[in-house]
Amino acid sequence: MKRFLSSIIDGRGFDIGLVSLPLAFLLTLSGLPLLYNIVMSFQEVDMFSLGSFWRPFVGFKNYRDLFAQPETWPILANTATFVVASIVGQFLVGFGLALFFWTNFPGASWLRGLFLVSWVMPGLVVGAIWNWILSGDFGVLNFILRETGLIDGNIFWRSDPGFSLWAVIIANIWLGTSFNMILLSVGLSAIPRDLYEASELDGANVWQRFWTITLPMMRSSIGAIIALGLIFTLQQFDLFAAITSGGPNNASNVTQYWAWDLSFRQYDFAKGATISVIMIVFVMIASVVYVRSTRHEVRG
Amino acid sequence: MAIRGSAILGALALAGVSLFGLSAKAEDVTINVWSLDRDIQPAPNLIADFNKLNTGIKVEYRQIQFDDVVSEAMRAYSTGQAPDIIAIDNPEHALFSSRGAFLDLTEMIAKSTVVKTSNYFPGPLASTMWDGKNYGLPKATNTIALYYNKDMFKAKGLDPNKPPQTWDELVDAARKLTDPSANVYGLAFSAKANEEGTFQFLPWVQMAGGSYEHINSEGAVKALDIWKTIIAEKLASPDTLTRGQWDSTGTFNSGNAAMAISGPWELDRMVSEAKFDWGAALLPVPEVGAERSSAMGDFNWAIFSNTQHPAEAFKVLEYFASQDDRMFKDFGQLPARSDIAIPETGVPLKDAALKVFIEQLKFAKPRGPHPEWPKISKAIQDAIQAALTGQMTSKEALDQAAEKIKAVLG
Repeated sequence: MKRFLSSIIDGRGFDIGLVSLPLAFLLTLSGLPLLYNIVMSFQEVDMFSLGSFWRPFVGFKNYRDLFAQPETWPILANTATFVVASIVGQFLVGFGLALFFWTNFPGASWLRGLFLVSWVMPGLVVGAIWNWILSGDFGVLNFILRETGLIDGNIFWRSDPGFSLWAVIIANIWLGTSFNMILLSVGLSAIPRDLYEASELDGANVWQRFWTITLPMMRSSIGAIIALGLIFTLQQFDLFAAITSGGPNNASNVTQYWAWDLSFRQYDFAKGATISVIMIVFVMIASVVYVRSTRHEVRG
Repeated sequence: MAIRGSAILGALALAGVSLFGLSAKAEDVTINVWSLDRDIQPAPNLIADFNKLNTGIKVEYRQIQFDDVVSEAMRAYSTGQAPDIIAIDNPEHALFSSRGAFLDLTEMIAKSTVVKTSNYFPGPLASTMWDGKNYGLPKATNTIALYYNKDMFKAKGLDPNKPPQTWDELVDAARKLTDPSANVYGLAFSAKANEEGTFQFLPWVQMAGGSYEHINSEGAVKALDIWKTIIAEKLASPDTLTRGQWDSTGTFNSGNAAMAISGPWELDRMVSEAKFDWGAALLPVPEVGAERSSAMGDFNWAIFSNTQHPAEAFKVLEYFASQDDRMFKDFGQLPARSDIAIPETGVPLKDAALKVFIEQLKFAKPRGPHPEWPKISKAIQDAIQAALTGQMTSKEALDQAAEKIKAVLG
């Protein structure tokens, strides 16, 4: 008994206690809803059976119905475009900025801090602002493009099926760039300076130093940022709600917005859950990448 | 001894508290009311006034958010925590009444000396009905009509006292009024892919003899073709597809659209923002003499069927109905009553427009009523968007919508 008590205060029991607390927290608040969601995707759910757990099971009917709908594949394709374009855009701009601030000119750290403002802003506010910028008739973006002679007529970013998804992507790149920049800056500053000095002595030019030192040393940071980017873009909901509402004609609809629309606009909770399950699969893949790429950090 | 003494005292105290609680319960029946009204809107004010009357019924109020009304109510009902009374958006009324979640008020209304169904506009009243029975009372109502900029009419040689009467006249007028060099579109409306799009489009279908059950009728196709023309010729901003009614009408107020289709909720803002002479007109019809129709919005009162106090809850509703004449004067909302005259506001433009809206209300039709309205509405929105983006012809889009709606109707 005494040994048990002392192990709780200092020893294995303490470790187990520390681990079990967050684990129990995670299981109840994330694990159970996740399982519930999966169960729901195999059930027939309507508003009145929402309160009970024992609903009729319908097998894969929700999945079959979902893929029979004409909009499903275009929306999945939109999601893929959105995720890939957002991540590539956020990463390239973010990495560029991180390298730029890495040169440590006077005031670099101040400016880098200011860039975080975009990340701090709530998605709905960002969406509302981009809504004005992208507005067809009076938008600033159209004004700039017109004045610089890049376009003749206004582009209706939100309402033209060819542009609406890109309108949200542009806003999302803006929103996510600073986060990418900060994480990549941290990665950059962790590279030992003497590596560069040694390679400089050996006569490596800037380009060679970037490809043979910076990039390989940044591998785990890059893996982490891309995995996090995947999770954040799959979460991105506010911008769609604020800018295009998934329109016109689903041209900018993505799975996360569609799941909400099905569940809370059309009260088709089972289908909403079904889409969420499909998304969970993708997020799982992202998590595996994230965990694998950050494993080295723990060891170091 | 000391311990026992205090235990007895404690027990006595407990008994006293519970006795007191019981006696309070016997005096006052508590009725819970949920609605989305804020402090300056009807529900909380009417409830405060009602509680002052000391009728032995105590009403407790809870404000819920627009987006949460249905899901909150559903969850509360299925777990037995529903309030006694709720204000529900009219197209969602049938969802509850068809499942027996709302109380059938037919008999109580028949016996009531305060509430008479004949006093209500037919559209709002119909939205509270299911299967020929009354499951609620209209709380307030609204509809849409055509606003137009009289100054622009004059400038383009149109008669400012003869707003367009038919669809063709509307398109003609829009063509004449559209002026890209001055950033002016002929018309502003909303074809957004949410309930607003259906709200704006369905009246056009109904005027042409269609309905949600016959969404691909010849008239409905013609209606969507007119919308297509308006968008394709840029007589309205392409952003009509993603912009709600409030933002669209904003462009009318700022002088960037010569006409706008929207409702009476715009009036106050228009009076303060529009720096020009404007008027309102009934929605144009397909051809002279055709049936009129319009959209019908706003909320209904209903009593949940699992209430413990149906009679008291109905008394509260009766009180709300008896205060309908304050609806416009105190809260700026239109009562759903044809027997209540809207008092003059002293603002001539607003008063003239209100007359048009009251006239238009006579033709307002509910969306549905149908328990699966959100799905029906979604099919209609998809059709509008598919046609207006040019991805389908009006006929194809509406045929597809008809098929989806048929699946819903069973």
